[in-house]
Amino acid sequence: MRHTISILLQNEAGALARVAGLFASRGYNIESLTVAATPDDDVSRLTLVVFGDDATVEQIIKQSAKLVDVIEIGELTRKEHVERELLVARVEGDEAAIDACLDRFSARLLQREGPQSVVEYTGSADAVDRFLDALRAAGDVADHARSGIAAIERPLVTA
Amino acid sequence: MTGADIVVQILADEGLDVLFGYSGGAILPVYDAVFRFNAEHPRDDGNEPLPLIVPANEQGACFMAAGYARASGRVGVALVTSGPGATNAVTPVRDSMADSIPLVVVCGQVPTGAIGTDAFQEAPVSQIMGACAKHVFLVTDASTLEATLRTAFHIARSGRPGPVVIDIPKDVQNAPLIFEGSRELPVRGYRSRLHAVESATLTDAACAAFFATLGASERPLIYAGGGIVSAGASGPLRDFAHAFGIPVVTTLMGIGGFDTTDPLALHMLGMHGAAYANYAMDDCDFVFALGARFDDRVVGVPDQFAPRARAIAQVDIDPAEIGKVKAVDWHHVGSLDQALDRLLAYGARIGFRRDLSAWHAHVAGLKRHHAMNFSRDSDSIQPCAVIEAINRITNGRAIISTGVGQHQMWAAQYFDFREPRHWLTSGSMGTMGFGLPAAIGAQFARPDLTVIDIDGDASIRMNIGELETVTTYGLPVKVVVLNNSGDGMVRQWQKLFFKGRFSASDKSLHKKDFIKAAQADGFEWAQRLDDPRAIDATIADFLAFDGPAFLEVVIDPDAGVYPMVGPGATYAQMITGDWIPSRDTPVEATGQPTGMF
Repeated sequence: MRHTISILLQNEAGALARVAGLFASRGYNIESLTVAATPDDDVSRLTLVVFGDDATVEQIIKQSAKLVDVIEIGELTRKEHVERELLVARVEGDEAAIDACLDRFSARLLQREGPQSVVEYTGSADAVDRFLDALRAAGDVADHARSGIAAIERPLVTA
Repeated sequence: MTGADIVVQILADEGLDVLFGYSGGAILPVYDAVFRFNAEHPRDDGNEPLPLIVPANEQGACFMAAGYARASGRVGVALVTSGPGATNAVTPVRDSMADSIPLVVVCGQVPTGAIGTDAFQEAPVSQIMGACAKHVFLVTDASTLEATLRTAFHIARSGRPGPVVIDIPKDVQNAPLIFEGSRELPVRGYRSRLHAVESATLTDAACAAFFATLGASERPLIYAGGGIVSAGASGPLRDFAHAFGIPVVTTLMGIGGFDTTDPLALHMLGMHGAAYANYAMDDCDFVFALGARFDDRVVGVPDQFAPRARAIAQVDIDPAEIGKVKAVDWHHVGSLDQALDRLLAYGARIGFRRDLSAWHAHVAGLKRHHAMNFSRDSDSIQPCAVIEAINRITNGRAIISTGVGQHQMWAAQYFDFREPRHWLTSGSMGTMGFGLPAAIGAQFARPDLTVIDIDGDASIRMNIGELETVTTYGLPVKVVVLNNSGDGMVRQWQKLFFKGRFSASDKSLHKKDFIKAAQADGFEWAQRLDDPRAIDATIADFLAFDGPAFLEVVIDPDAGVYPMVGPGATYAQMITGDWIPSRDTPVEATGQPTGMF
């Protein structure tokens, strides 16, 4: 089962390593991990994606919740939430084919030097996979970097 | 003040009366500040207010601080230098984490600018300790030092207690700072969770649900763990058990949390628990777990633990322990003492009564038919007889520390523990070498009590350098070594599960003369006991000696620890040995080890 876990973490030396270490020590490969500051400078948000059985992941979340640096931890998997991942890719090929691909996915061209283009796309992990496939069909993808998933709960709608 | 002065001032403000530690370059400013503080603030009796006890190594220092904490309930403190000093502290820090012991370890670190350069005596303490401690602070901003220190003590003692490590670079120790006198770090997530747990109270509805379950039970059993000791809840536990007549089994860490001489006491359960305790767990229909975490040494096979229990209730201060191993039908996350007081008051208010006489008679029968026992007319000294003699002569009124292995289990089984904090043992980590330094720390915490380290020949070798610490400080610690020429518990497992191939566990050809070793370290009373007829007289003489004393007892090398629930076995498959009647067919020892190590 795929689990998306969101953590608010106090910015302290070693805090990130302690969280990641808890997952690693259970033998769980962290599929993706994004970390960035929140509107509060002292707090970072982590989004972790791991695959594992529900009971063990629940126990890891409980153990993580005990870490002194952790302010809040919760699993988003069963909640209404939005997931996004950023892709930047360097692709070489026919301009028109690449531009058509970018148009189709609403992706952006960031730079173009001769036959090489640097492009950007954000979307769910599946959408990023689909965009990469399309990009490979349009040109030669020389390199790419994916950010891992950032996720947040959907806005609460009050009746 | 310098950063180092602030460290020492906060240690004094925390009410410490002894520190343990080993010096080195990166902690020298703090050591100098301790010296100056002691010189400037002599106590009325002329003694130092913060004596610094120097062990043989940093592992010893931290186990002394942990022994101090276990015996007193207060936070123990060790001061160590960077690099090897700090890494020597890893084992006791992990040991304290596993047993929930409040400890603060102050580590010197290389100067801020040198961190990460492979500087002399540098080690990545925050990473290493991060995986072992309740929390680690690396103080890179000197202005946060004071708040960090105070927060470290708060974290160590609050909630589920544990060890906190503070890594302080040398330049931070030397920084000129202003002492504010009150600041703490926000640690807002921790504080809000702590507040929620500590202020949690049982509603009337929750109490009603608990008593409905208890009322439906005919054979209730309390399963009490180390949380009872940590929470200072032994009084509320006694009152609760007595009010409703519920028998009590304890874990290894829960020993002393319920008076073992109480008629309701069924003593320790688990892998080497009393047969009657394990049978009672097999027979009960309701388990009330208090500050106990269903450890594998207790539960064995989770699906078959307490097989007749129709309900399990659990109280713990740690939400992660609820339902971790066994699903529970009723639970409360909060302070044990408050929860038990509340349940007791509610039960009294509704006039709760339950006739448990049939269960009491059953339990009494189990205690009678499956009583602890061993070979009492052997030609060689039986270790259980030694523990019984110590118990008889001290009337069970001593602090007992142990190493890890057979001697630890015999001490747990054959000594009476009337009060909490008289039983100091490395429960979860199972750290050999724990006993002697822990006894030293305990003797500083409780100079009014006799402190006895019951050790094994292999365990004491691990930290035998601390014998000299005992005599250096003139501590009246009594050290008993049960010598069976080997790693007895390992041999017992090899005998049962490895067809008697004693790989690396036989020490019979070793040349150490323990008596000469003790004498060389300054023990004036150091004797060997090998005559079963002299047990009582020798032990009485040993315990009566006014000062440090060392007794080596040459025990039957074939003595085993029984009962034993083999790894991966159920209580019904328990091996009770030749001297304790079993009610079931014991499991045949297999030729292969099981998955449960």
